[in-house]
Amino acid sequence: MTSGQSAPWLDPEALWASNDRALEMARAVLGSADAPVGLTPKELIWRKNKARLYRYVRSEPATQRTPVFLVLPLINRAYILDLRPGASFVEFLLGEGFDVFLIDWGTPGDEDRALDITTLITRYLPRAAKAIRRASGVEQMTVLGYCIGGALAACFVALYPKIARNLVLFTAPIDFSDAGQFGALTARGVFPVDSLTDTFPIVPGQVPDIGSKLLNPVASYLGTYARLSEKLGDPGFDVAGWQAMYRWVNESVPFAGAAFRQWIVEFYQENRLARGVLEMDGRPVRLADIHCPVLNVAATKDQIAPRPTTSVITNLVGSADASEAIIEGGHVGIVVGRKAKADLWPTVGSWLNAHD
Amino acid sequence: MATKSKTNSEGPGTSAGAESARQSSDPFEMWRQLYETNERAWTQALEGAMGRPEFGESSGKMLETMLAAQKAVRDNMRTYLETINVPTREDIARVGELIVGIEEKIDQLADRLDDIEEAVRRPSPKRAK
Repeated sequence: MTSGQSAPWLDPEALWASNDRALEMARAVLGSADAPVGLTPKELIWRKNKARLYRYVRSEPATQRTPVFLVLPLINRAYILDLRPGASFVEFLLGEGFDVFLIDWGTPGDEDRALDITTLITRYLPRAAKAIRRASGVEQMTVLGYCIGGALAACFVALYPKIARNLVLFTAPIDFSDAGQFGALTARGVFPVDSLTDTFPIVPGQVPDIGSKLLNPVASYLGTYARLSEKLGDPGFDVAGWQAMYRWVNESVPFAGAAFRQWIVEFYQENRLARGVLEMDGRPVRLADIHCPVLNVAATKDQIAPRPTTSVITNLVGSADASEAIIEGGHVGIVVGRKAKADLWPTVGSWLNAHD
Repeated sequence: MATKSKTNSEGPGTSAGAESARQSSDPFEMWRQLYETNERAWTQALEGAMGRPEFGESSGKMLETMLAAQKAVRDNMRTYLETINVPTREDIARVGELIVGIEEKIDQLADRLDDIEEAVRRPSPKRAK
């Protein structure tokens, strides 16, 4: 009987190779928790509660006039746009001559149970913007938001239009009337949002994480490891790069209960932002009040913010200059994947250059 | 890496057929092939099942049941800690909330000072004589 015909458990050679592969896989997966990420030097310029505003250190003065203010999603760590050298959008912006600022929302604790999106937009972002104005000496900035951060950035610019010279959105869900599988899972009467936020003052990061993975469970729970097993046989495989991406995808952040509830009820279930009936601190949040140039970047294979949720913004804003860039890829891949360098970064870079 | 070191240990006379035969008996390789062969079918089956309204409803009910159990555990723990005079998570969170509230008040005062500073710096309109 040849080794090809024998059962794997009777073939010591195959078992040995398989054992090696299993160890390599375990090392890659378990080591991802400590994968070095967010390495671009930065300085803290403002803080409030758990939020931190950082300015990325430039070796030379900025050559572009308008600073860029990065607004991140509430469910991700702050390093997602500065993953690792060579795969960092922040590094790209610095190379293009921009003064780059980033708000890290931090990790909420039980004391932040009442921290809602309204507070983040009306108490945190305006003060962070003021700190940016002071640090850079420039009155207006480009506000750039990614995913939920994009929705927050749009609300912020709608409420404080004078702050923004430009608004750039990356895969930002705005219209939830057709929010795909996520919309179905979080629908009123289906998703027990009240019980969840009553039980957990801080919603565990695994809740939105599992929700995202359920959008494509086979690829998320099996495909990741099948691909890793295949790639580990390739001597040119960049294990550190894989680990950084794995860390990004799996290192979730808890959601303050009030913010989570507001996100699900007012945005997903009631679609208040796109319908123009969202209010924050008694003020209407009207996207039509955004008059600065807008660039909306959407991904063709985005399951987290599917195309119907991202496509309306250019029609809803009051800007005369509102354009859209559709990038081939998924929600994460377009920002840091190999294609990001070829597609997204140059597109955004040239748009920002033209609107400086 | 496993596959690489395995390949290196083999002599130059190893045929591609033998390698393929070895790979076909590698449990990992078999698992990967099983995944690749069935990935589309599994995805379609799951998408079909998860796309139905019943899936959302049942997952919502399941979550609600788990939450009820979790809430019972939390409530019991709180009662126990209160009985033995130990601060609960809520007690500690309340202290944290007070600190966060004080920080917000300080921020509001700083905002007011900024407004005053700005008003002072702004050139006042000349009085008409």
